[in-house]
Amino acid sequence: MMKYQIIAILCCVALLTACGKNTEIVQNPEDTAQTTAENELVIPENPDADPASDIDLTTLSSTMVYSQVAAMMYTPEQYEGKIIKAKGLFSVYHDEFQNKDYFAVLIKDATACCSQGLEFVWSGDHVYPDDYPEVGKEITVMGTFATYEEDGATYCQLLDSSMIVDA
Amino acid sequence: MSNILETLVMYFQYPFVQYAMIVGLLIALCSSLLGVTLVLKRFSFIGDGLSHVAFGAMAIAGVLGVSNNMLIVLPITVLSAVLLLRTGQNTKIKGDAAVAMISVGALAMGYLLMNLFSSSANISGDVCSTLFGSTSILTLTKPEVWLCIIMAVIVIAVFLIFYHKIFAITFDENFAKATGVKADAYNLLIAVITALIIVLAMNLVGSLLISALIIFPSLSAMRVFKSFRSVIICSAVISVICAGLGIIISILFSTPVGSTIVAADILVFFMFWLVSYCKK
Repeated sequence: MMKYQIIAILCCVALLTACGKNTEIVQNPEDTAQTTAENELVIPENPDADPASDIDLTTLSSTMVYSQVAAMMYTPEQYEGKIIKAKGLFSVYHDEFQNKDYFAVLIKDATACCSQGLEFVWSGDHVYPDDYPEVGKEITVMGTFATYEEDGATYCQLLDSSMIVDA
Repeated sequence: MSNILETLVMYFQYPFVQYAMIVGLLIALCSSLLGVTLVLKRFSFIGDGLSHVAFGAMAIAGVLGVSNNMLIVLPITVLSAVLLLRTGQNTKIKGDAAVAMISVGALAMGYLLMNLFSSSANISGDVCSTLFGSTSILTLTKPEVWLCIIMAVIVIAVFLIFYHKIFAITFDENFAKATGVKADAYNLLIAVITALIIVLAMNLVGSLLISALIIFPSLSAMRVFKSFRSVIICSAVISVICAGLGIIISILFSTPVGSTIVAADILVFFMFWLVSYCKK
């Protein structure tokens, strides 16, 4: 009798792991639109936030910032058009093939081993490296969250961003 | 103080914080229930060994490009749990040596595979995140939360249904066998549930700190309480409070989630040790 109970439990466990396949649905950018209707974006009221922004990451703790940026990467369609303000380290990625520079604000987690880069496009005419700060300098950027497709992948960026280099 | 409370109320409106709290508390509850049995049966380090196996399995899943790594991590961890128990009983390589061998072996192989075949640009970040949990608990998706809830409910249900049998084999396995209890089958059941908890808890504290989640609440409760039931209840309460407190402190003061929870467990252990010392 006991044997059958254990087998039944093991079967339940096996079934559950199969159910886990659903996690992929949410992480797949093409399918995330399905979840948008079900999950309304919650932006808690933050009295310390910059009124010009919809989501002010500069007033959150670093653990919260990292988690919020991760949420933005998982379901970018929920944040399209929102004005985001973020603080982090200035970072540049140069694409050799397209000979193009990508600029990002780097946000580290509490253990400082994981980081999320939030790409931004500085509004106005600026030349790299003359007009930009040194890599690793702390900057605050504010821009409109948008997504774009490149080489079959979806990327997130802040458009028309303002940038302030912190002292 | 009111500022901190306001901030906390605001943070709790974020869905990912709510998910982290639900999953964190459930994992803490599950691990504490099994922790008492594991500590009393001298299996404290099986959690450590299995968590390293889960790390190795996660590396294999990453190398194979399996999108849902649970499909690989869970079966391998469960199989290792069963093998560890069998190996401990019947072969030349006994208990602690088998655990140590599998533990370090899986850790080394996992790291090696991640370095040789990983397609990720941030291997050190991946390793750090898997070993120490990082902020994994705060980046859960809704389906992952549901999976954790269902698995936690199964673990709790199994524990409650087989409570008396688990109690019997925890204290005197030979006597339990003599009275007709199929101790081997229940040991297998405990191993399977332990493997489930390990896989769940990797999200909360990472694979290196899981043992703390299993042993500290039990050891703290054992300082003050003496009966099996009271130790289990106290251990569950300690574990849930420490996990909740750890998550709250980490989101408020930007500390790593896993190590903050373990630090809270250590603090409670010393408080209970002090209480037991004063009672003598």
